[in-house]
Parts: sequence; structure tokens; C-alpha cells
Amino acid sequence: MKNTSELTDFYYKTLYPVLQALEKERTQLKHRIVTVGVIYTVVVGFIAITLFSSFFNLDMIAFFAFAYFAGGGIIYKFLIKEYRSEFKQKVISPLINAIDENLNYTAHLHIDPLHFSRSKLFNSRVDRVSGNDYVNGKVDGINIQFSDFHAEKKHKDSKGRTSWSTIFQGLFIVSEFNKNFHGTTVVLPDTAQSTFGDLIGNWLQSNNLSRGELIKMDDPEFEREFVVYGSDQIEARYILSHTLMKKLLLYKKKTQQDVFVSFTSKNINLAIAYNKDLFEPSVFHSLLKYKIAMEYVQTLHLATGIVEELKLNTKLWSKL
Amino acid sequence: MSTPLIILIVVAIVLVLMYNSLVSKKNQVENIFASVDTQLKKRYDLIPNLVASVSKYMEHEKSILEEVTKLRADANKPNISDEQKIALDAKVSSALGSIMIAVENYPELKANENVMHLQNSLNEVEEQISAARRAYNQAVTDYNNAIEMIPTNFMAQAMNYQRKQVFEITEGERKNVNVKELFN
Repeated sequence: MKNTSELTDFYYKTLYPVLQALEKERTQLKHRIVTVGVIYTVVVGFIAITLFSSFFNLDMIAFFAFAYFAGGGIIYKFLIKEYRSEFKQKVISPLINAIDENLNYTAHLHIDPLHFSRSKLFNSRVDRVSGNDYVNGKVDGINIQFSDFHAEKKHKDSKGRTSWSTIFQGLFIVSEFNKNFHGTTVVLPDTAQSTFGDLIGNWLQSNNLSRGELIKMDDPEFEREFVVYGSDQIEARYILSHTLMKKLLLYKKKTQQDVFVSFTSKNINLAIAYNKDLFEPSVFHSLLKYKIAMEYVQTLHLATGIVEELKLNTKLWSKL
Repeated sequence: MSTPLIILIVVAIVLVLMYNSLVSKKNQVENIFASVDTQLKKRYDLIPNLVASVSKYMEHEKSILEEVTKLRADANKPNISDEQKIALDAKVSSALGSIMIAVENYPELKANENVMHLQNSLNEVEEQISAARRAYNQAVTDYNNAIEMIPTNFMAQAMNYQRKQVFEITEGERKNVNVKELFN
């Protein structure tokens, strides 16, 4: 597998002609968006003024503002549609192939929601899922798949209005694990202990009825960052060896996001909460900007890198 | 209801809760020790096979092979205490470790499929023993804390609960092998 600097090279050298062409398209698109945006705002503003001069109430304004943003979103999506799909086909897809040629990329698919629910990482009821940029294949002989994933929950208030709240948005990765196990082990960011301190936090954690047994790990740094629940005290420690705990800590530091990890049905599931749609083309900034390029490269490298970083490719005897 | 009666009921509830939590901690320790024991037995079962396959080649290490066999016989004796089991485990771990290092000096052994298989099985069992040991240590720590901390310590004294011993986690388990140091 290529490292990040090799990938950055690939981005700027091999993809340069493509990027240049896309860059031209992007600047044109930017102008178009600004023009359409201005016209749209003027038109909506005009309608609003004529409407509000005859009658006026707060609900109306709220409704209008909502309609303005929703309509704007739809128009924006429509405008960038072609540019977006071209970007994914010509930039993201080759980048993934450059990382490992055994990986397949499908822009419009996402990870099977079954994987998400089986991971047992998020207990809330999932009412709507979306996502894109699905990658699957083998890295060093280990099956891996990941995608952008967004899971939401529906709420209804007393007036019957529905709203949606996000359960998880970010990168969801499922990979084969190198040890045999039967139960479930879940590793979550430790919010209780860091907010309430050791004593109360620990008490809250041990009384979390929606999870399995609390498993206290013997690595103080790991315990500070994560909380572990599982169905089996011994199995959880068999999975989370001292080395793996150190590696997960490093991985979390690298992502700089909240990391959720679980071990279920022979797999390791990782959810990295970026809270935004990843691998989307930049419209208002140049594609040639280093910061933008690094975001694509690093996120992809992070996802495919788990095999190497967590040493999932060293098979243990029981798995041979 | 009179105040003294209410106080009495509250005290009784607190006592029952304390008693139950102590008993459940003690049972957790015993429960996990049973799992440790199963894993240890698995490893003891591998020893005769290992000794048989390497003894032909290992002339200089006869003493250590004999020691391992003796330790296994000791461990299989009935009625040995948990403390003795813990002590035996430490000895067996270090003896098996020296055998594994010695194997490296015999190219015929290293290439032997049977020995390789045994080595891999041992590694796997070691991993499981290590996990079981860590789980046991955590359970014992919780138990020991309850015995020594206020207010459960008074109850523990009344119930005659004693501190329990933890497994020593060897340095080798904690750290990655430093290849450089091996050659110094």
C-alpha cells in the first residue's frame, strides 16, 4: 500500500491534467452558482415583499426562510451534479486504485445498513440512512469495506411535525478481524469519565443498562479515552491486547475525531464521526490547494490503513 | 411509621446491599479464576507433546525439560490452592519461554512441522491465558478495593473475607519485544 506522501505525489503528478480540466469547470461553475444564487435571492425576496405587504405573521416568515434554504439546496445540488460525478470518477476512483488495485469503488452506494446495526455501536433506532463512496475489496488479503454513512432518527412533536436528528455521520469501516471470538465487545469514546471525573463517571458507566458489562481495561491512557462494554470479560481482553489498545489510541490521535470501535460477528467495525459528507468536490476552493488535496488523501489513507495500523494482517493460529 | 423504624429499615437495606455486593465480587473472582484454570489446563496438555518432540534434539537443555514436566505433574495434583496455581503458572511461563528461545538454536527443530504447530498453539493459548489473567486481576482488584474501602471493609471483616493475590504480569507481556536488546 502506498503511503500518504506517495499518494500526494500521485494526486499532483498523475492526476494533474485531470485536475486542471476540472479546475476550469469549477471556476465556471462557481460563477454560475453565484449568478443563479443572486437571481434566486432577488426573485424570492420580491415574492416575499409582495406577500408580506398584504398580510404578515411570524409563522409565514419562518416558512418562507425554510423554503428559501431548501429550494437553494436543491438548486445547488442540481448545479454541481455533473461536476460532482466527474470529480468522483476522475479523482477519487483513481486515488483508490492507486492505494490498492484490489479495491473497488462505487460512488453512489454505501455500506449495508445491516452492518451498521450489527455493529451495536449506536443503540438508537435508525429511521433513515444515506451515504455514498462505497469501497470494498482486499488490503493485504484482508476483506475490508467502508463508505460515507449517515444514520438519522425521526422525531415527531406534539403538533405532528417531523424532524430528523443525526445518530452518526462520517466514515464507517468494516474489516475482518484476525482473532476468533463469539461475543460482542464495544469500545466507545469516554464521555462520562471525562465530564464527571473518575468516581462518578465510573459509577455512571457501570450502570449503563443499555450496554453489556463494563470492562475496565488495564491501560490507564486507554481508559481515559475510551470505555469498553462487552459480553465476556475475558474475551474482551483477548481482543483488546495491550498492543491493540496502544494502536487504537494512536489511530484515534491520527483521526482527531471521535472513534467508535466494536467487535461483532468476526469483524471489527470502526465509525469515525467526521460529522460531514466526505470525498465531496470542493466548489469554492481550488482543487489544487494542498489542504484540500490532503483531506482526500489522508481520509482515504486512514480508512484503508487500518489493516496495517492495527496489524489485522497478522493472522493468529486459530484463524489459519 | 415511627422514625426509629424507618432508620432501622434503611440500615438493613444498606447492609444487605453491601453484603450482596461483596458476595458478587467474590463470586466474580472465583468465576474468572475457573476460566483461567481451563486455559492453564489447555497449556499443560500441550507440554507432554512439546517435550516429546524436542527432547531428541535438545541434549543440553535436558534439565529445563525435566523441570517443565515436573511442574506439569505438580499442577495436575488434586487439591492445590489458587495461590499455588498462580505460582506454578509463573514458573511454567518462564520455563516454556526458555524452551522456545532454545528451539531457535536448532535449525532442525525450527523447521519441524510438528514443533511449529505446537509453537503456534502455545502462542494462541498464551494469548488467551494472558487475557484471562488480566480479567482475573481486575476482578481481584475490585474485590480487594471493596474489602479495604470504607464502608464495605467493616462488613468484609465480619464476613472474614481476605485479600486475594493477583497474577504478576510479566514485563514481556506488557512490552513489545525489543530486538536490539535481545542481542546485547
